[in-house]
Amino acid sequence: MNPLAWVTLIPLAGALSIGLLNRAPAVLALLSVAAGLAASVWLLVAVAAGAAPELTLPGLPAMPLRLGGEPLQALLSLVVAGVAFFVVLYAVGYSRDDPQRSRFFSILCFFIAAMQALVLAADWLLLLAAWELIGLSSYLLIGFWYQRPGVAAAANRAFLYTRSADMGLYLAAFALILASGSSEIATSLQHAGAAAPFVGLMLLLAAMGKSAQTPLHDWLQRAMAGPTPVSALLHSATLVAAGAILLIRSAPLLPDEILLLVALVGGVTTVVTGLIALAETDLKRLLAASTSSQYGLMLIAVGAGAPVAALLHLIAHAAIKSALFLAAGVFQHSRESTEFKALRGVGRERKATYGGFALAALALAGIPPLSGYFSKDAVIAATLVSPHPGLLGGLALAGTLLTGAYMARALRLLWRGEARPHRLAGLVWMGSGLAGLVLFAATLKLYFSAIESLLESVPPESTLASVMGLGAALSGLLLGGWLGGKRLSGPLWRWARQGFAISGGMTHWVVHPALGLARRCQRLEDLLYATVLAIGRMGLLVGRVTRCGDEGVIDRLILALAHASRTLGVRLRGLHSGLVHRELALTTAAGALMLGVLAALGWWVGPGAAP
Amino acid sequence: MFPLVSLSLFMPLLGAAVILAMPRARAPMVHALGIGTATLTLAGTLWMWVRGVQADGFSQVEQIDWMPAIGASYRVGVDGISLPLVLLTAALFLLTLIYSVRVRERPHAYVVLMLLLETASLGVFLALDALLFYVFFEVSLVSMYFLIAGWGHEDRQRAALMFFLYTLLGSLPLLLAILAFYLGAEVSTFDMRAWIAQPPLSGSAAMWALAAMLFTFAVKTPVFPFHTWLPAAHVQAPAAGSVVLAGVMLKFGTYGLIRFALQMTPEAMRAAAWVVMVVGVLSALYGAFVALAQTDLKRLVAYTSVNHMGYIIVGVAAAALAADPALRTLALDGSVLQMVSHGLVTGALFFLVGSLQERANTREMERFGGLLQQVPRLGWFFILAAFASLGLPGLAHFPAEFQIFLATLGVAPAAAVVVLGIVVTAGLYLRAIGKVFLGPLPAQWERMPDLGTRELLVLTPLTLLIVALGVAPAWVLQVIHRTTSTLSF
Repeated sequence: MNPLAWVTLIPLAGALSIGLLNRAPAVLALLSVAAGLAASVWLLVAVAAGAAPELTLPGLPAMPLRLGGEPLQALLSLVVAGVAFFVVLYAVGYSRDDPQRSRFFSILCFFIAAMQALVLAADWLLLLAAWELIGLSSYLLIGFWYQRPGVAAAANRAFLYTRSADMGLYLAAFALILASGSSEIATSLQHAGAAAPFVGLMLLLAAMGKSAQTPLHDWLQRAMAGPTPVSALLHSATLVAAGAILLIRSAPLLPDEILLLVALVGGVTTVVTGLIALAETDLKRLLAASTSSQYGLMLIAVGAGAPVAALLHLIAHAAIKSALFLAAGVFQHSRESTEFKALRGVGRERKATYGGFALAALALAGIPPLSGYFSKDAVIAATLVSPHPGLLGGLALAGTLLTGAYMARALRLLWRGEARPHRLAGLVWMGSGLAGLVLFAATLKLYFSAIESLLESVPPESTLASVMGLGAALSGLLLGGWLGGKRLSGPLWRWARQGFAISGGMTHWVVHPALGLARRCQRLEDLLYATVLAIGRMGLLVGRVTRCGDEGVIDRLILALAHASRTLGVRLRGLHSGLVHRELALTTAAGALMLGVLAALGWWVGPGAAP
Repeated sequence: MFPLVSLSLFMPLLGAAVILAMPRARAPMVHALGIGTATLTLAGTLWMWVRGVQADGFSQVEQIDWMPAIGASYRVGVDGISLPLVLLTAALFLLTLIYSVRVRERPHAYVVLMLLLETASLGVFLALDALLFYVFFEVSLVSMYFLIAGWGHEDRQRAALMFFLYTLLGSLPLLLAILAFYLGAEVSTFDMRAWIAQPPLSGSAAMWALAAMLFTFAVKTPVFPFHTWLPAAHVQAPAAGSVVLAGVMLKFGTYGLIRFALQMTPEAMRAAAWVVMVVGVLSALYGAFVALAQTDLKRLVAYTSVNHMGYIIVGVAAAALAADPALRTLALDGSVLQMVSHGLVTGALFFLVGSLQERANTREMERFGGLLQQVPRLGWFFILAAFASLGLPGLAHFPAEFQIFLATLGVAPAAAVVVLGIVVTAGLYLRAIGKVFLGPLPAQWERMPDLGTRELLVLTPLTLLIVALGVAPAWVLQVIHRTTSTLSF
């Protein structure tokens, strides 16, 4: 049996069985992610051994659904399965007391299945389907606590932002299918021809939505309304990764000018969202902003022509950011909040968790020998060999500096303050999930060379990049730890606090005009309805006029005629008295009259009638 | 040969006759008879489905002379375009009758009208004779008029009259076009197959006939700006009436557009396709935006019908414009599939809105909130149907819309702006879900009962079909594709 099928079907089966049975959700979820992880390992081993598994399913006529096992896909599948496993392990503890556990684990497993379908998709139809299905699952998961005020709005925003950007993916896929005559991703990318710039632009749009790039970044921070394991899985390592994965896969197609645009979008995002993270007052929202910022770095790498560097950073970031979120979830359970104000000193009471958090934070900042150092190194080195080393290198270094700064700030805020030690239920599960991810966050470098040989692609290296990257990371850490966010971001502080929204942001620029247009259409609609009614009334009016004509003239004439005949009849009745002598006299008189008339007529007509 | 098609077609009429013959039967008996009849009809159409269609022309044709002097016969049969719609009709009517078992007000008349409407609806899709088609087309109108007028809500009389006048006046031009075809044909016949094989009109005569038909089908579909009867009728119609109206009767318009306009005046249609395309795009976007402005849940669903039917118009126009046969087939596949998907999804939505109204006596979204915790089944069914309606992959509309959009982009890139509609529908459904089902629960609704057995019996199969069509559209598409891939016009 094909490992591709197992990788996607096992989590799907998990989701369905949890949903239908409504029993033992945690056990079933753990079983299915563990089995899914095993299937992914099997897939990667098979692919590393030279196999190229494929699976074709019936789809539309001439457009079947295809799953493919290229090395990149197999690798990403393992990353998804791995992160998913640890997150579910953690969630068993996290969701202990939630009465809606079944729903939670069911949607979580469904999400994992959709994400696996996304990374393994070998044709545009399946990719699009999976792309939108992870959007659905994230909507359902962000809206998990739907009774709380504001949660529905956050879920709506996440779905709508990504769906608007998805138009890009739709159009890109359509253009590629039409240009190449094939819905297969690999084939169509090679035969895009003149459509390449348009396709590139549209793919970038789609990726910007999913990977929360500026100016479409603010849904991600609001998405933190969902449970924390959801944030760890969706909004750090998988859902958001879809955008970067899309660009990494389609990188060979992108023309130079689009590549530059990709890099610039990434560069702007990494700086803007880095500053937002620096100004954030909520731990989870800080981590969310940081996610956008890190994906910005990946886009820089893609734009600089080194998708493999982006991939390495994606993998490292997946482990690191999930670990950070899981730790944040422990803090959240300790203090029932994710606001820094409430979290002061929480690090002292959860020392082991804080240690894990700190290790992951240093890895993200890029401190050797942790994984982030090497992946970020590769990104910076890629910018130095790109056509625009000054610009892109500067942006990447700024992003690195900001990363160090906001992570140091978070570490400081979590540590300073008083500990309020108390027992926490479910900590064993949460701790083991966290520990696994921290371990990977720290040691992923060990696998980098294996990954490079699997993909047959080596990221650029340069000592200059290592030195500058480390310098930026260290200075960022020092500045952030010492000065804190407010002093560091200076005049940008206030604007960063508002998420750099330009006069009201998307709500102002898109939502209000759309609703305004809707209202205008409604007015037109009322007008149309009134017009139709008016036409109907006019018909009735015509009818009434006709009726008046009928009743007033014709009817009256006929009635008058009838009346006249009746009157005549009444008058004539007077003559029919029944008295014989009178009748006889009348008859005689009438007979004489008739004879006279006839005689007169005969005389008058006679001569004329003679020939 | 066993007259399966005719038997399925007149089975509901037979059932209606039986009910009329038993004026003293109690309501449950009447409903049971109705459901039994509809079940038999569905079984008949399923059997037709099993028999399948051949690649070329019509299959399972049954024919009897009717008025031989003028060449009008009773002719019925199916091809890949009509067969899925026949099956959809039979399925929706059965579900509708199950849903309606609670109707206690003049149950005889209700079930009889429903069954009459079923025969008429099946007849529209099955007829291969233009006169027969027209007769069924009009009879369906009359039955729907009485359903709205007799069992509708507050302002039903006016809505019913508007519906009747609008679509009656709307269908007169079709009669003229049919007469024109008859007079234009070399052999005097009303046989639609002959007209399709050899289009009787050409030049400006064809264009006039097309204009007349476009008007009729634009009213029926409905298309902006001839759609105003739709929300009025839907809001006043009983839930079952809305389901039949949106699920089955709107398809008369688009089915006619393909069967008559595209197949019988192909040249004129190609020339006018740009206009049709523009109208379709406008209609789809307009429908979406007006739906966004609604506060009444039922009106909202009604307007999304204008949006979804607009996509079908766009697809048919793209098929007419396409020079590449592969694109033409793609567009038609999408359009026909969209008709089926819309029937299932909108049917489900109207059932759900009906159930909500039964419980709350209001449809104003602002008055609800947090219902998902109180009536989780209703809520989840609604969420699933709403996501299907906004075109989520894995659910019924996605494969259809994917094909339509793809073909449209290939034929007329500018028309791809219609894709924006799926963002707007996403927005309006999410808003509706948010307002009605999410957030805190108002104390007023704390005793609202969840869906009962009757409703589950209706919604479960419907939902399964929606998922089946989304996940594996091949089982329907292969039937559609067999015909669309051989159409030549």
